[in-house]
Amino acid sequence: MTTGGHPTNGLDDVVHQRVRLGILAVAHQARQVEFGFLRDTLQLTAGNLGQHLTVLEKAGLIEIEKGYEGKRPRTWVTLTAAGQTALRDEITHLKQLIHQLEHPTPADLPHPA
Amino acid sequence: MTNESVPQADSPRELLAVVRDLTSQVRAAQRGTWFPLLVLAVVTLAAIPVYRFAPYLDLLDRCQSRPGHVVCPGPNPAELLYWTVALLLAYALIAAFYVRQSRRRGVGTTIRPYVLTGVALAVLATAVSVWLTLYPLLPVPADPFAAPQVEIVHAGPEVWLLNALGSPTAVIGLALLVLAWVERYRALLAYSVGYLVLVVAVGSRIIHSDSRWYFLPDLLVAALVLLLGAAVFARFRPTAQAAA
Repeated sequence: MTTGGHPTNGLDDVVHQRVRLGILAVAHQARQVEFGFLRDTLQLTAGNLGQHLTVLEKAGLIEIEKGYEGKRPRTWVTLTAAGQTALRDEITHLKQLIHQLEHPTPADLPHPA
Repeated sequence: MTNESVPQADSPRELLAVVRDLTSQVRAAQRGTWFPLLVLAVVTLAAIPVYRFAPYLDLLDRCQSRPGHVVCPGPNPAELLYWTVALLLAYALIAAFYVRQSRRRGVGTTIRPYVLTGVALAVLATAVSVWLTLYPLLPVPADPFAAPQVEIVHAGPEVWLLNALGSPTAVIGLALLVLAWVERYRALLAYSVGYLVLVVAVGSRIIHSDSRWYFLPDLLVAALVLLLGAAVFARFRPTAQAAA
């Protein structure tokens, strides 16, 4: 990820995806979130959510812990320190993008052909 | 439910709106505001028989007696003991409730700062009460041994504030401010401020009474406001929360 220049340069492809951004946002607020809560809140199928979780886990942004509560299997998702940073950076870049769109400098305006 | 049911949101503004919306949903799922209010209302109501019937234990040896008179400048240590133990048990129960709710709903809890603040304030209130008994800032109005009779109207706001800090009903309100912060709940913040103003106003009155029920307005007002709050927050919690 590059951080200089235009805010789009700072966007991380792993995080800049609405479902994965949603997972990180929920995990950030919840501290620890269960698979079922994520699935219901994001209105995803278990399979689709699982794929996104795998991407985030491989990127080191979340930790997945499997266990049992009574006889019920439970999967808990926790945001890592890297995940916190990635979420904060993404939100910062999104805000910068909005600011840039609302207050364009002459360099941002399209050049006439 | 589809494979990609999160609303299409690719513009920065829409993505931020999604983040805000999801954060609100999680906060709503983490709340259990009615329960602490209910528990604290019960604790306040249960204090009434302690205030009325517990014999005065002069543990600090501060009472003065003459024929026909016994004047004690501080609250009954039995009341202090009751509040300390009851509040510690109440916060333990509240913590257990939030942890259980967290497991049931599948979303973590942020209750720890509230519980720790509540416990710390409960202990602090007891310490302040003991200190005020040993070194009273406000003279006892009905003290027949006080010579000369002292006017208490000159006490500064800091004295009244410290006096209020020794009041268990006020420290309940101070801890509720922390709960409003951890739950990011503006309605609870407004409620807590209103509750605090009310209990401090009621608790700061100078009571001239020979009734053994003189304390009743303080406890009843606090308990009723807490009960009302518990009912209102329970009534207006989101449906998904109520079902969980």
